[in-house]
Amino acid sequence: MKEQTLGEFEELVLLMVAALHDEAYGVSILEHLEREAGRKANISAIHVALKRLEQKGLVVSRYGGITGDRGGRRKKFYVVTAFGKKALDQQYTVRTSLYKQIPDISFAKG
Amino acid sequence: MSKVSPPKYAEKLLEWVLHDELAEEVLGDLEEQFYAHADRKGLRRAKRNYWYQTWNYLRPFALKPTKLTNHFSMYRHYFKLSWRALKRQRLYSSIKIGGFALGIAATIFIALFIQEEVSYDQHYKDQDRIFRMINVVDAPDEKSKWSHLQAPIKAVLDSDIPQIEQSARFIAFNWYNAGDNQFRPQGTTQSVYEKGFAYADPELLEILEVPFIYGNATTALAQPNSIVLSKEKADSYFPNQDPVGLQVILNEEEDNAYTIGGVMDIVANTHLQADFLLTLKGKEFWPGEQTSWDSWNYSTYVKLVPGADRQQVEQNLLAIRDTHMAATLSDNGGESAFDLQAHFRFLLQPVNEIYLTPAEELHDSLLHGDRKTVWLFGCVALFILLLACVNFINLSTAKSAMRAKEVGMLKVVGSFRSDLIRQFLAESVLFCVIAFGFALALVALLMPYFNILTGKTLELPWLDFWFLPGFGVLILLVGVISGIYPAFYLSAFRPAEVLKGTVTKGKKSSRLRSGLVVFQFATTIVLIICTVITYRQMDFILNKKLGFEKDRVVLLYGSNTLEEGQQALKDELKRLSHVEQATISEFIPITGATRDQNGFWLAGRRELDKSVGAQKWRVDEDYLQTMGMKLVQGRNFSEAFASDSSAVIINEAMAREFGLDDPLGAKIVNSFEPAYHVIGVVEDFHFESMKGEIRPLCLVLGGEGILMPLRLAGSDVASAMHAVEHVWDQFLPNQAIRYRFMDQEYAHMYDMVQRTSRVFTVFSVLAIIVACLGLFALSAFMVEQRSKEVSIRKVLGASLMQIFGLLTFNFLRLVVLSLVVAIPLGWYLMREWLDTFVYRVTITWDVYVLAGLIALAVALITISGESLKAGVDNPAKRLRSE
Repeated sequence: MKEQTLGEFEELVLLMVAALHDEAYGVSILEHLEREAGRKANISAIHVALKRLEQKGLVVSRYGGITGDRGGRRKKFYVVTAFGKKALDQQYTVRTSLYKQIPDISFAKG
Repeated sequence: MSKVSPPKYAEKLLEWVLHDELAEEVLGDLEEQFYAHADRKGLRRAKRNYWYQTWNYLRPFALKPTKLTNHFSMYRHYFKLSWRALKRQRLYSSIKIGGFALGIAATIFIALFIQEEVSYDQHYKDQDRIFRMINVVDAPDEKSKWSHLQAPIKAVLDSDIPQIEQSARFIAFNWYNAGDNQFRPQGTTQSVYEKGFAYADPELLEILEVPFIYGNATTALAQPNSIVLSKEKADSYFPNQDPVGLQVILNEEEDNAYTIGGVMDIVANTHLQADFLLTLKGKEFWPGEQTSWDSWNYSTYVKLVPGADRQQVEQNLLAIRDTHMAATLSDNGGESAFDLQAHFRFLLQPVNEIYLTPAEELHDSLLHGDRKTVWLFGCVALFILLLACVNFINLSTAKSAMRAKEVGMLKVVGSFRSDLIRQFLAESVLFCVIAFGFALALVALLMPYFNILTGKTLELPWLDFWFLPGFGVLILLVGVISGIYPAFYLSAFRPAEVLKGTVTKGKKSSRLRSGLVVFQFATTIVLIICTVITYRQMDFILNKKLGFEKDRVVLLYGSNTLEEGQQALKDELKRLSHVEQATISEFIPITGATRDQNGFWLAGRRELDKSVGAQKWRVDEDYLQTMGMKLVQGRNFSEAFASDSSAVIINEAMAREFGLDDPLGAKIVNSFEPAYHVIGVVEDFHFESMKGEIRPLCLVLGGEGILMPLRLAGSDVASAMHAVEHVWDQFLPNQAIRYRFMDQEYAHMYDMVQRTSRVFTVFSVLAIIVACLGLFALSAFMVEQRSKEVSIRKVLGASLMQIFGLLTFNFLRLVVLSLVVAIPLGWYLMREWLDTFVYRVTITWDVYVLAGLIALAVALITISGESLKAGVDNPAKRLRSE
C-alpha cells in the first residue's frame, strides 16, 4: 500500500472528527474549527477534506435523522476508524518526540 | 420565515452538478449554515455566501462523474474523427478554412469599425437630458434644417423655459478667432499656427461633462477672455505645469490677451473636438450682435431638468419663435413673420445622434461619421460572412459521397442519427475554431493597413471582458449555422443503400448548391458594381468643372500678423515672375473655410419679402482672377471706381433666387450695412461639398485675414515656392512660412468618399476571393465526379474544347444567372448612395457589363484549371481501375 500522508488541514479535520465523537458533520466541524482552532474555512473545503479522509479509510460515515433546518435533508455523521485513530496517534508521537528535542535555550528574534 | 430560504438557483445548480451521494450532505450543510448566517449577518450576506460556497463546489471531486466524462470522451472522439477527415482532404479543408478565415477577418474589421462609429457620445452621465437644438423650415418652397441659432437665444432659453436646466452656445466653424490662429504664450516671441479653436459658453463644459485636469468645468470659462486648452496642447506649451492663470496671445493682439482657465481632457469619441475653447462670456462680435435675431451663428446645446419631456419642450420652444423672432421679422416685413409661424420650428437632437448625422444634413462644421456608411459596411460584413458559410455548406455537401460510406458504417455499428449530427456539427465547429485562429492572426497583422484605409485608430480589444467569451459564442454560432445543413443532410443516408453503392453522389443537393453559387456570385457582382460606381463618383468630383481653377493655387497662411504690411507683401509677391496673381481673403471655396451667412433683400422690399440667405464673402480686386472664376455679366471690382466699396458681385444662384433677369445695377440690402449695388454676376462655382446645391453667394470688397491665396504662373512649383519663401522671409523673418495647395485641400473634402470607395474595393476583392475559393473547390469536385464520364468521352473522340465546354458551361450559366439577380440590387443600392450627392454621375449600362465581365472572367479562370486538367489527362489512367 502506498504511504498515506495527511495534509495539515486534513489532520485538523480528522482531529475534530475524533474530538466531536459521533456528533461530527460538516457544519459542526466548521463551527468547532472556528471556535477552538480559530480557523476560518469554507464548508466546501471541509467537505473536500472529509471525502479524502473517507477515501483513505480514516473516517467512516453514516446518515443521521432528518432535521427541519436542513430542508428535510439528513445529516451525514463521520466517525474515526481504528486506522484513523492510529494515524492520529502516529502523528502525535512524532510531534511530541520532536517537540521534546527542542533545546531549552533562548530563541532568535524573528 | 417564508422568505428566508437559500437562493433557489444555487440549489438547482448544485443538485444538477453534484453527484448524488454528495448532494444531500452538501445541500443540508449549506442550508443549515445559511440559516445561521441569516440570523447573524442578515439575509443578503447569507445569500451571497451561499452562492460563493456553491461556486466552490464546481471542482472535480464533487461533480457528477459518470455522464460528463462520458460526454467528454464522446466529444473527444468527435473531434478526433473530424481532425482525421480534415487531414484526409487537405485541399478542401484548407479552402474551407481559408474561406472562413477571410470572411471572419473581414467581419471582425467591419465590426470594430462599426463599434467605433456608434460609440460616439455615449458616455454622459445625463445622456438622455442633453440635446442640441435644430431648427427646421418645412415650407412648400423651402425645406431646410440647420443647427445654428441666434445669439440672444441663450438668455431666453434660460429665463423662459423652465424645463431647461442649462443652455450653452458653441461656434466651431471659422469665425473671428474660431478656426485657426497664430498662438503664443505671453512672454514668448515666436507665434505658432494652431488649429482647432472654438467659442463656447461657460456652461457648455458642464453640459457636455468635459473632464478637467487643471481647473474645473464650472469656472474655466466663466471670466471674459478666458481660454481652455486641451491636454495635448497644454502638454506641448506648458509641460509639467499647471498653466491656469497664465496668459496667451492670439494673432499678436497683445492688448487682447486670453487667460487660461483650465486644461480639459476631451474623450476621444465625442463630436466635441477642439484644442482651444474661447469663452463667449461678455463677447460681442460687433455692436448689437448679441441682441440681433438676424444672424444665425450659434450651435446651441441644452440640458433638460430631470423628467422633462422632449416633445413638450419642443412645443414650448415655439413661444420663442412667436415672440422674439416674429417681432424682429415683423419689423422687417409681414410676409416673413407669417412664413415663420407657419413653417418654422425647433427640434431637440439627442447628443448621441450628432456624430452620425452627416454634416450635409445640418450644415454644422463638426467631425462626422455617416449613418449610411455604417449600415452599408454592416451589410457588407454580414454578406462576406454568409459567403464563407455558404462555401462551407457547398463543399461539405459536395463531398458527401466521400463521407457516405463512413456514415453507413457508423450506422451499421449502431450510431444514432443524433450522434452523427453531433459528429458533423463538431466537425464544423472545429473548422471554425481553426479559421477563427487564422482570422485573428490576419486581423492583428493587417490592422495598421485597415487603420490607414479608414483613417481611424482601431485595435483588437483583447483585454475587454466581452472579447474572448464573445468570440467563443461567435465561433459556436458560425460553426453551428454553417454545419447544420450538412449535418442533417449527411446523417440522413440509409446505410443499406450507401454500402451497396447506390449513393446519390451529392446530386440531390445540386440545386441547392447552384443556388448558393448564385448567391455568392450575385453578392460579388453587387460589390463590384458598388466599387466601380463609388470610384467613378470620386473621379467625377475630382475632375468636375468647379467654376474655379483649383490647380496651381497656393494658400499662404499667417500673413495677417503684418497687419498694414500685408498689402505690401501681396504686391511684392505679385511682382514675382512665378506668381500670376495674388489676393487677400479668408473666404475660399473649400468646406471648413471662413463663412458668413446673411439674409438679403432687394432694396425697398425688406418689409415685403422673405430674405434670401446668402454667403457674403469679403475679397479684393484680384480675387476672381486668382481663383480663376468667370464673370458672366458685368465687371470686376476696380480701384478706378470709388463707389466700389458698396459694390457687390453676386453668383448666378443668387440672381435666380431674386428673380433678376438683368441683375446689373440692382440694389440689395442686408440687416447691417447700407445698400450694395450689383456690378457683376459670377458663374456659379462649388464652394461646399457636392452633396449640396450651389447656394446663393455674393462678393464684396474688404479682403483681410489669415489667408493669402496665390496663383502660380508656371508648373515649376518648387522654384516658385522658393521665390515666394524668399520674399516671405524678408517680411516676416520670425515667422516660418506655411502654405498648402488648394487642389489637395479640395481632395481632402472628399476623404470620406475616397475612403468608402477604397473600403469597397478591398472588400469586393475579399468577396471575390472567397467566392472563387468555393467555386474552385466545387469545380474540382465536379471534375472528380465526372472523371469516368470524361475519360469515356475522350476515348470516343471528344476534343479538348468539347470537354472544357462540358465542364464549364454549367458554372458559367450560374454566373450569368447571378448577374441577372445582382444588377437590379446593385443599381438600387448605388442609387441610394448617389442620392446623397446633388452633383453625381449617372449609372450607365457599361458598369454592369464591366461587373459581368469581371465576374465571368474570374469564374472562368477559377474553374478552367481543373477542367483543362481533366481534358488533357490520359483516359487510360482513370479507366484502369474498372
